Amino acid sequence: MMTEHTDDSADSSVQSDTSRRKFLAAAGATSAFALAGCGDGSSGGTDTVTVASLNPISGNYSSLGPSQVQGARLAVDQINGNDNYDFEFELVEGDTETESGAAQAEAQRVVQQEGAEFVFGAISSSVALALNDFASSSEFVYFPGGAAVPVTGSSCNEWVFRFETNTAQIAEAISAYTVNNLGSNVWFHYADYAYGESVYNRVKSRMQDADSDFNEVGVTTSELGSSNYGSYISQISNSDADTVVLGMTGGDEVNFTNQAADQGLIDEMAVVGPTATFQSIRAGTGANSVGKYGGVRYVPSLETGDNQQFVESYMDAEGSTPDNFARVGYDSIRLMAKGMNEAGSTNPGDVRDALEGGTFQTVLGDITLREGDHQATNPTWMAEIVEGDGDLPAVELLEKVESEDTLPPASELGCDL
Amino acid sequence: MVLADFVEQLLNGLTVGMVYVLLAAGLSVIFGVMNVINFSHGELFALGAYFALSITNPLGAETGFWVALVAAPLIVGVIGVGIERLTIRPLYGRNPLYHILLTFGLVLVINDLVRLVWGTEQQQLVVPNFLTQPVAVFGIQLSLYNYFMIGFAAILAAGTWVLLNKTKYGMIIRAGSQDREMVRNVGIDIDRYYTLVFGVGAALAAVAGIVLGGYQNVNTTMGNSVIIPAFVVVVLGGLGSFRGAVFGGLLVGVVQTLMRAYNGTVLADLGEFTLTVPNMEGLTVFLLMIGVLLVKPQGLFGTRGEESEGGEGEILVGGDGGLLNESTKFKLGVVAVALLAIAPFALLVTGQRYYVTVLNEILIWAIFALSLDIVMGYTGLVPLGHTMFYGVGAYAAALVMLHYTSSVFLVLGAAILICAALAWIVGALSIRVSGVYFAMITLAFAELLYSAVFKFEFTGGSDGLLGFEAMMGIAGIGVPLSDIELLVLGYEIEQRIVFYYFALLLGVLSFLVARRIMNAPFGSVLQSIRESQERAKFIGYDVTKYKRRAFVLSGGVAGLSGGLLAVSPTTFIISPDQTLYWIHSGEVIVLTLLGGMGTLYGPMLGAGAFLGLEEVLSGYTDQWRMVIGSIFILFVLFVPRGLVSVPSLVAERVDRVQNEGDPPVNIDDPEVNPDD
Repeated sequence: MMTEHTDDSADSSVQSDTSRRKFLAAAGATSAFALAGCGDGSSGGTDTVTVASLNPISGNYSSLGPSQVQGARLAVDQINGNDNYDFEFELVEGDTETESGAAQAEAQRVVQQEGAEFVFGAISSSVALALNDFASSSEFVYFPGGAAVPVTGSSCNEWVFRFETNTAQIAEAISAYTVNNLGSNVWFHYADYAYGESVYNRVKSRMQDADSDFNEVGVTTSELGSSNYGSYISQISNSDADTVVLGMTGGDEVNFTNQAADQGLIDEMAVVGPTATFQSIRAGTGANSVGKYGGVRYVPSLETGDNQQFVESYMDAEGSTPDNFARVGYDSIRLMAKGMNEAGSTNPGDVRDALEGGTFQTVLGDITLREGDHQATNPTWMAEIVEGDGDLPAVELLEKVESEDTLPPASELGCDL
Repeated sequence: MVLADFVEQLLNGLTVGMVYVLLAAGLSVIFGVMNVINFSHGELFALGAYFALSITNPLGAETGFWVALVAAPLIVGVIGVGIERLTIRPLYGRNPLYHILLTFGLVLVINDLVRLVWGTEQQQLVVPNFLTQPVAVFGIQLSLYNYFMIGFAAILAAGTWVLLNKTKYGMIIRAGSQDREMVRNVGIDIDRYYTLVFGVGAALAAVAGIVLGGYQNVNTTMGNSVIIPAFVVVVLGGLGSFRGAVFGGLLVGVVQTLMRAYNGTVLADLGEFTLTVPNMEGLTVFLLMIGVLLVKPQGLFGTRGEESEGGEGEILVGGDGGLLNESTKFKLGVVAVALLAIAPFALLVTGQRYYVTVLNEILIWAIFALSLDIVMGYTGLVPLGHTMFYGVGAYAAALVMLHYTSSVFLVLGAAILICAALAWIVGALSIRVSGVYFAMITLAFAELLYSAVFKFEFTGGSDGLLGFEAMMGIAGIGVPLSDIELLVLGYEIEQRIVFYYFALLLGVLSFLVARRIMNAPFGSVLQSIRESQERAKFIGYDVTKYKRRAFVLSGGVAGLSGGLLAVSPTTFIISPDQTLYWIHSGEVIVLTLLGGMGTLYGPMLGAGAFLGLEEVLSGYTDQWRMVIGSIFILFVLFVPRGLVSVPSLVAERVDRVQNEGDPPVNIDDPEVNPDD
């Protein structure tokens, strides 16, 4: 599954490397021509576009990456079977190993060897940032899967578009609700790395804005990948806090939650995690999650956009409901295709121009890839985790933040495009 | 309340400490008795948790957990016995270095199997409901599971102690760890006991995996994340000492936990200056280990002196067994360089430009491996933290580019100097100990730096450094690498190719300089140290000083390779995991052994073979790690002198078959070993 290239694409990569600009211009012209010619709705396009999906299949986020790929595969299948698109996508895949060195090597491979000019993927912030830079220097369109603000914030560039909901948007959903409804004496515990810090900074500042009674009781940090949280849980439990906000995800949040439940913390106070509702975290914690609060980037039950069609086809293809990472993979690829239709071209430069500031239908409804930073204006929700039908606890939505209200101005997040 | 809080934290520390005890007990006894540094111990630990998952899922938590607690360790114990019989047994008597290579291969194979069988999703190992109740006594609120972990592990540890100290088996094992020849001489088949020890060690690790799996979650990286702390515990307590493992495990667990709980606590308020407990999580255990090793090199409870430590069995340096004479070698070298010089053109013509990027990576690693050979192949010191120089070189280069100058020459110069200085400091502290202790103390320094880059603002934390670019030139005169584009015969020579020739030139230069130094009297002294440290000392050489100089040279060359990584036009970010993670230290040892150490060119060849193989295999199968791991295992068993010895091995066999008609013999047969 690593390489699915044909001789075709290898050839095109040779050409595109030798005189990239010229070839691209030519390709753009052909596809524009093809689009014009196919206006009568005749079936099937002839133009094959190589898109790449680079995901953490091994390493720390190996439990999240595979869904991204599955979402991307489904999108490619649908696009190739849809007459509205006069081109076909060929998907090449790569493993970032949740590590920027391997990710850079894989990115070089898919771009230079396979000839991909549209790339989706990465979850961890350092991998996404590395690919950001590569996209800008090699001029391909990149849809990152990471949530860290700097990806479309201080490290943004014109080639990067993000459909993943970023930490600032989630902070918007959980901060005001938590401080107004759950308790204003807040303890922060976060994993000491980019994502954890960004949760702490955003949530704290939004809480301060939302309620003057907000009181930071204490802050603890753990190392990324810690396995034992007993001592922090004891500390938090012995404090005056009525709410604890977790700036962590993946295995860290699973471990924290399991240990917090066993030590009675979740019954004692409101435990709020921006990613607490992730399917993988609910699966890793089971009933221990019940009673936790969390932000929602996506749940399959949403009635927004064409989500229900997506859930149905995903169920058919994979036999399970899609999670947040699957929907990011799915719509990142679809946005590339929609951008191509909008541009009437498969030239990365044209597609980039078409995507910038464009509004598109997605599983989250109509969203805009903002002109200022290319961040999708996704809605977010606050939710409580409740008992589910089976082993997997369910997510009950409490409050929605509409898509136009989730994001501060781009310049406030450090991006000026 | 303060006291109750403290006791609660102490119990938290004991909980995790007990897991370390179970892990370290097996690891320590295996090392003490068999001299095997078992890197795959962490994977056996993970296997325990995964087998428990497979047992509890159908049976349910209430009964399944207890069944798993008995059955899974037995299964893993049997697997351990199999591993010992098939792979480790043939290596007894070899230097412990080869066990690193072998068990490293096992890590890759087992980990890939786990991913294949159980998938990559993190899973929850459910434990019986009543065990997960919170219990509050005297204001101490903990889960009952904490008490269960402490109690259950304590019973097992006590049982192991009884087994070791009160039974005949235990007596023989203890005797074997003191002097195995002696035990053999009195007519005991100690090999059978080795198998037993390995099996029991594996089973204990599996128990630790299940117990911890129930406390947190079960995932494919769990083995990787415990193996280093477990080694720290073993070394801290004293290799081979069961008492040490218990004490070390509890100490590390408690100290780690208390440092977490009380970081930022104000100790004393001295007016303008407040003394607080610094946030040292992650650093604590390594500082502890460095401290203990410097004061008491054999660990807290270690009884064995350093001398017995280097392990029996010489280090097998690579060589062609005199098959090729100097001038043939020279010619082969020239041909190799010439082939490398025209490689990019071949790739351009055939349209495989991407492989230039792969070649660049190979060149960088070839220089890194060369640097390791200087210290490992020529002085016999095995640093398990060599990636610190690679990483610091890369960080130093990136920082210089970001803040001072982007001139490639100055950037690389700075990387080399900074790493040489670092090597001098680390060397001054760690060369006092040798063998495994040296390996562990360098690992500790590497881990300190790894933790440090996460903590400092100027190193970019977990994201790392980005936004730098190298310039081919000096003092503001020059062009950015990205602007270099030439057209030769209609082919575009872009930055990657320019970098390729630059790296190739530096690679050849590093090799020539290293060879010159190693052929000079300095090199001869180093080799005599490797052969026999005592002899060199008696002749009157200051052994420590020579070793340290070699270490500084090695650090500088490794710094060059790290610097090259940063200035490479295809590097956009320098992040902690990419440069300073301990796996890279293991990898560079592996490819040095793979190529054939003590030859300088062997390791460079090894880098090419390893990375080339990885590139090819990953294109064909998802299970490429398993294939590479199996190749390591086969290599260490059958080609211990590395790739460079293959021609002579082949020649020997052909010779034998032709002259005597004898079937090929095991290459470990002393007769076959060329006397180099």
